[in-house]
Amino acid sequence: MDAKLKETILNPIFKGNPITVLVLGICSSLAVTVTLKGALVMALSVIVVCGISSLILSLLRNTIPGRVRIIVQLVVVAMMVILVDQVLKSFEATYAIDKQLSVYIGLIITNCIVMGRIEAFALGNKPWPSFLDGVANGAGYGLILLIVAFFRELLGSGTLFGIDILNRFGYVPNNLVILPPFALILLGCIVWVQRSIQKDLQEK
Amino acid sequence: MNTNNNVYTVIYTTVIVVIVAALLAFVSQSLKAKQDANEKAETISQMLTSAQYGTKAELDKLGNAAKLDKYAEEIDEAFVIDLEGNVIRELNTERENLEVYSPKELKRQNYNIKGGANKTAEPELPVFVFKNGRTVVPIYGAGLWGPIWGYISFEKDSDVMAGAYFDHESETAGLGAKIKDDPSFQKEFVGEVANFGSSNVIEIVKGGAPKDAEGKSEKDNKVDAISGATMTSQGLDAAIDTWLGAYSKYFLNHKGQEEHCGNCQHNHNEEKEEED
Amino acid sequence: MEYLSLFVKSIFVDNMIFAYFLGMCSFLAVSKNVKTAAGLGVAVIAVLLITLPVNYLLNTYVLAPDALIEGVDLSFLSFIVFIAVIAAIVQIVEMLVEKFSPELYSALGIFLPLIAVNCAILGGSLFMQQKDFLNIGEATVYALGSGLGWFLAIVSLAAIREKMSYSNVPAALKGLGITFITVGLMGIAFMTFMGISL
Repeated sequence: MDAKLKETILNPIFKGNPITVLVLGICSSLAVTVTLKGALVMALSVIVVCGISSLILSLLRNTIPGRVRIIVQLVVVAMMVILVDQVLKSFEATYAIDKQLSVYIGLIITNCIVMGRIEAFALGNKPWPSFLDGVANGAGYGLILLIVAFFRELLGSGTLFGIDILNRFGYVPNNLVILPPFALILLGCIVWVQRSIQKDLQEK
Repeated sequence: MNTNNNVYTVIYTTVIVVIVAALLAFVSQSLKAKQDANEKAETISQMLTSAQYGTKAELDKLGNAAKLDKYAEEIDEAFVIDLEGNVIRELNTERENLEVYSPKELKRQNYNIKGGANKTAEPELPVFVFKNGRTVVPIYGAGLWGPIWGYISFEKDSDVMAGAYFDHESETAGLGAKIKDDPSFQKEFVGEVANFGSSNVIEIVKGGAPKDAEGKSEKDNKVDAISGATMTSQGLDAAIDTWLGAYSKYFLNHKGQEEHCGNCQHNHNEEKEEED
Repeated sequence: MEYLSLFVKSIFVDNMIFAYFLGMCSFLAVSKNVKTAAGLGVAVIAVLLITLPVNYLLNTYVLAPDALIEGVDLSFLSFIVFIAVIAAIVQIVEMLVEKFSPELYSALGIFLPLIAVNCAILGGSLFMQQKDFLNIGEATVYALGSGLGWFLAIVSLAAIREKMSYSNVPAALKGLGITFITVGLMGIAFMTFMGISL
């Protein structure tokens, strides 16, 4: 694998992380990080949606008229997500999975990471790198989501993946932690840690 | 190729929109029957949960067919009433074409109960009576992000609740979604007494419902709200008040059938708890 | 009177940023100075003011069950229709801004097209669907109120950030980090409005 592709994959995980560096996908990272399970489901969905929609729009990139590109992008992304939802809903075996996912449909479509990466990368690059970029950004997003969700579920409910960890020692769950403002404060701390390690990201 | 040409732009947009609309319409039409079947089985398992035929997880282990079997076996009668509590018509309870109210139908009835511009007809409210004597009625309303609905069951001819199950479309996981995911929230409704005839049939109280000496929730009409999920709790409170308010006359008419209810309710409860 | 209470409520009690935490990405990224922030705020108000009434009409007269043809329920299309309308309006706003204020256009950068996926806008339409507004007037007042709420939020954050650039923040926390924390604290402060009924 050549160095450029490797860079495309590794960069979004840490140095160019969509949440802490590019400031994309904040709303959903506040909404889905109360429980680790929710964060995991959302992270996996975004990886899939981001990868595939980057691939499709990269294939279409030379045909899209500049003046209507936003409509085309959004319609393609929304259509894909809704189609997957409809298909999952129709089979007995997948219906239960869909009930878990359908909560996040709106958040996935309006996740700025999906459209942000299409605008910034997929429209100017070949399909394969675009697909990798989409997947890698989804993964970088998922990583932060899981870190935030870990602390929020542990401190806010005393559990991890719904399994009791702290409550058995007489821990009283802290309700402030499950409110959205605390997620922001946690994100601030994550940025702090990251920029202490990666000094060139510090703002003047 | 000049992609900024006007004609090209218009044609391109039209083609995309037509393709997308056709695809979505096709998929949604061709899969509708299957989706409805899944939804019906889900509705049935929610009602069975509310009537205490097992936990939701246990019922979900059954397949769609087994859920329908169980419902057909356990349902005693199902009918539709109006706001006065009079029975308008029976609902089909045969295994093959049994009738239940989907969330979409509940939404329509919700408009009819509330009145206003969206009202299309007089309300037609479903009542499901199971063989264990419990009466299940639906509720429907708005949560924080989308609709919430559920099923509340009452002990035979009384205003004491036997169980509840709630569902939602898109409440926040870990907060509002607890109305569905947290069995202990639903359990709080068991044994509480609905205050039919008042505008506050059930109150969902922030900061704790009154407790008795043993620290259990008192058997009044007050239930603890979910902490951190103010909007969903408020929405659920409003939904319950609206719907149980609409059922008030029916329940008040039937409550009279058991004369000595003042004392027996309490005993009745204790017996039930032992059975469980 | 009802319009007034709806208006005040949608600005403060139902504030898009601090009560629902919608539209955060552009809110955080484009709040470095008051001028750009105000520009984006106005763009959001404009987009909300157009999309909400349009989506209200579409929702009531086309998408609702039995609205267009008896027995046909098009509500499965509502998501995609809302998004298409929003995207179209954003595209128009983008072209207007590019034409009349190239300076603002370059300052907003990628966050101008991203208004289309600004959850505050789609959120507005979905809330509209849920709140069952009785007429288009209510929908418009709600759009104006929630847009103004968003505008106020981003301008006040930008003002705080302008002041903060003179304070002694740890190097690694400068910029984004301290902004996250500030917004968290502002959110806690805004909780005082929660549950106020007008």
